Amino acid sequence: MNIRKLLVLAGLGLAAVGTYFGLFVAPPERHMGDVQRIMYVHVPSAWIAMLLYTLAFGFAIALLWSGRQKWDDLMVGAIEVGVVLNALLLVQGSLWGRATWGVWWDWDVRLTTSLVMAILFAGVLVLRRMAPNEERRSQWSAVATVVAFIDVPLVYFCVRWWRSLHQIQSSPDTVDPAMVLPLRLNSFGLLFLALAWMLWRAAIERSSRRASEVPLPTRVAIEESAHA
Amino acid sequence: MPDGVIGGGWSYVIAAYSVTVAVLAIYVWSLSRRSRRAERSQRDES
Repeated sequence: MNIRKLLVLAGLGLAAVGTYFGLFVAPPERHMGDVQRIMYVHVPSAWIAMLLYTLAFGFAIALLWSGRQKWDDLMVGAIEVGVVLNALLLVQGSLWGRATWGVWWDWDVRLTTSLVMAILFAGVLVLRRMAPNEERRSQWSAVATVVAFIDVPLVYFCVRWWRSLHQIQSSPDTVDPAMVLPLRLNSFGLLFLALAWMLWRAAIERSSRRASEVPLPTRVAIEESAHA
Repeated sequence: MPDGVIGGGWSYVIAAYSVTVAVLAIYVWSLSRRSRRAERSQRDES
């Protein structure tokens, strides 16, 4: 069994148990009631999206340093899965905000920097499609990833640095253990799934590149042998 | 239900979990489709 399948199996198992505990075992929060159960998907989405963007930043640096295409494959994988989770994070947060704040959206610093983060990294994916060749595509997207990454620490620390509607980070010391367990299970479950999808997306990028690399010389060779 | 507690939260919880599962399922389907297409084009070209 390859690593991707192992990650998917472990991820699905952990997420299934975590979701069960989050929905049916963990107690409702004192003030928010049952709506707080959104936390068990919202917080893991945020953590893993930011972790993937951090990985993408590392891959971008490695790509700029070495020029090896495997870093480009991994970078696009990390960014794409990160953008999917970032989009989910915004939708889940909007639902939670509607129930607790009474609004679907507010131009609060945490919400705004999270939206900007999604737009910046989605922009990297759009930029890749506009590059004239493979070398430029890698360079442009690596530089754009480094620039986009500036927003990631802002998203994390903004609730401490500025006034925000959004609460600051909790710690396991201040949260009921019955709430910590599903949060951890779902976080590790989503982490394993996200890593599997990142590797899968990287493999697709590698296959696509090889398919576009092979044809020209092969075609020339075939044509030359046909004319000989 | 005690005072000061938000009621009717389950509809939002169900919506959040449903959107999460649906979006992730669509993404996996998209990966699977692109993976098959990439493998096919690589096979055709080699």
